[in-house]
Amino acid sequence: MKKQIVVVLFWAVALLLSACTAVQPTAAGGAAAESSKLAQIQAAGKLVAGTSADYPPYESIDENGNFVGFDMDLIRAVGEKLGVEVEIVDMPFDSLIVSVQEGKIDVVIAAMQATAERDKQVDFSIPYRMTKDAFAAVAGTALTMQAPEDAAGKSIGAQTGTVQEGWIQKNLVEAGLTPADQVFSYERADQAALDVANGRIELLLMDAEPALALAQESGLELILITELTAEGGKSIAMPEGASDLKAEIDRIIQELIDDGTVQSIQEANGLP
Amino acid sequence: MDEKMERVVELFGSVAPLLWQGTGVTLQIAAFSLLLGMAIGLPAGIARVYGPRWLQRATGTYVVLVQGTPLLIQLFLVYYGLPDLGLTLGRLEAAFLTLGLNSGAYQAEYLRGALQAVPVGQMTAARALGMSQGQAVRSIVLPQALRLVLPAWSNEVVAMLKYTAVVFLIAVPDLMGQAKILASRYFVPIPIYLIVAVFYIVLVGITYGLLRQLERRLRVPGLTGEAT
Repeated sequence: MKKQIVVVLFWAVALLLSACTAVQPTAAGGAAAESSKLAQIQAAGKLVAGTSADYPPYESIDENGNFVGFDMDLIRAVGEKLGVEVEIVDMPFDSLIVSVQEGKIDVVIAAMQATAERDKQVDFSIPYRMTKDAFAAVAGTALTMQAPEDAAGKSIGAQTGTVQEGWIQKNLVEAGLTPADQVFSYERADQAALDVANGRIELLLMDAEPALALAQESGLELILITELTAEGGKSIAMPEGASDLKAEIDRIIQELIDDGTVQSIQEANGLP
Repeated sequence: MDEKMERVVELFGSVAPLLWQGTGVTLQIAAFSLLLGMAIGLPAGIARVYGPRWLQRATGTYVVLVQGTPLLIQLFLVYYGLPDLGLTLGRLEAAFLTLGLNSGAYQAEYLRGALQAVPVGQMTAARALGMSQGQAVRSIVLPQALRLVLPAWSNEVVAMLKYTAVVFLIAVPDLMGQAKILASRYFVPIPIYLIVAVFYIVLVGITYGLLRQLERRLRVPGLTGEAT
């Protein structure tokens, strides 16, 4: 018995110590390698872009298994300008930032907003599109909302790690308006939509345009579209300190905005 | 190291309240599911060995279905599939039901093994004394089998504590779910997952200790050997 306690304590301490060494995941391997990130990508002839392909019309997977959507077209256009092939990797949204920090992917394009917290972890390109959020409820709902705070007290879902989830925590839960057990954090946005449709939760807060597509698919209705819950525009994320890559991607995005490419792929994907 | 140590302590301070909440949810799910699993597994295990032919087949099918499919698929079917049939369970109820049904199959199999490990002579002798089969199972075979099953059953308890870590996929804020939320809030997933690993190992350590105590207390000399 005593021996078992000692063994358990030993492992507990060992794990805690490794937590200490792991607390700065990027500091050690970083600086030198990332300054030449652009050169690395060009040498490999391949840009590895991470996304969470559950967010049409920004990113989704079509019947043939291809990645489609506004972000996908945009990153391919960026790749073309860089003169490299684009490889897209699908993963949960909340894994994207870490994956780019650990160098598993080169960039993130996932309708991601450049928030202050995220900006401390990664570098963001200039925004390629401004953001609005939507509150969705089941179609034919009697619920109406004039302002985001009208969601107070309602059961509400969001995707784990999104700005919207953060907004709910900060403005509804911490403000004492909604009890914590009324908040549902989902791995994927489409799972959250399913739960609105089958009545488990009343509201879903997410990006407005994907909400529009999801609402049509799952029988939801957008009852409020607002800029008040959003934080800035959508940007491409890349490793911190990869300044040459950021300069090049900023330049390309500006070019694509100026020559109308962004506009035309927005229209091609049904975005206003 | 000192500075890093401080940062981990600081991080621990900010994540601990939510992790405690998650621990409560994890323990609740593990306990309910084990009890439900026992309520299913005990009769199912006995039926597997002593039941009529049709009942042996039915329980056998249940065991094969549960053991033959991934837990994740079972969880998604119960949570997202049942509403199509008109049964919409809450996230916790869905977790209890899935893990309970899952555990029931394993517990039934452990019990079957233990029942079959009790020497046939015991049953023969009991019947020779005029006991019915039911009486013989209840008073002679089962008390021995339950002691024999304890080590395997302890494994199930420890495994269940960690099986619960899939329920974040149906939005249950268990220990793992809180870890995922915190990891995307503080952007330091590795330290947070390591802290959570410590939570799990301490939970498992305590549980293991309690189960060994129980094993020792219920020991019958000569049946299960010396507990150490």
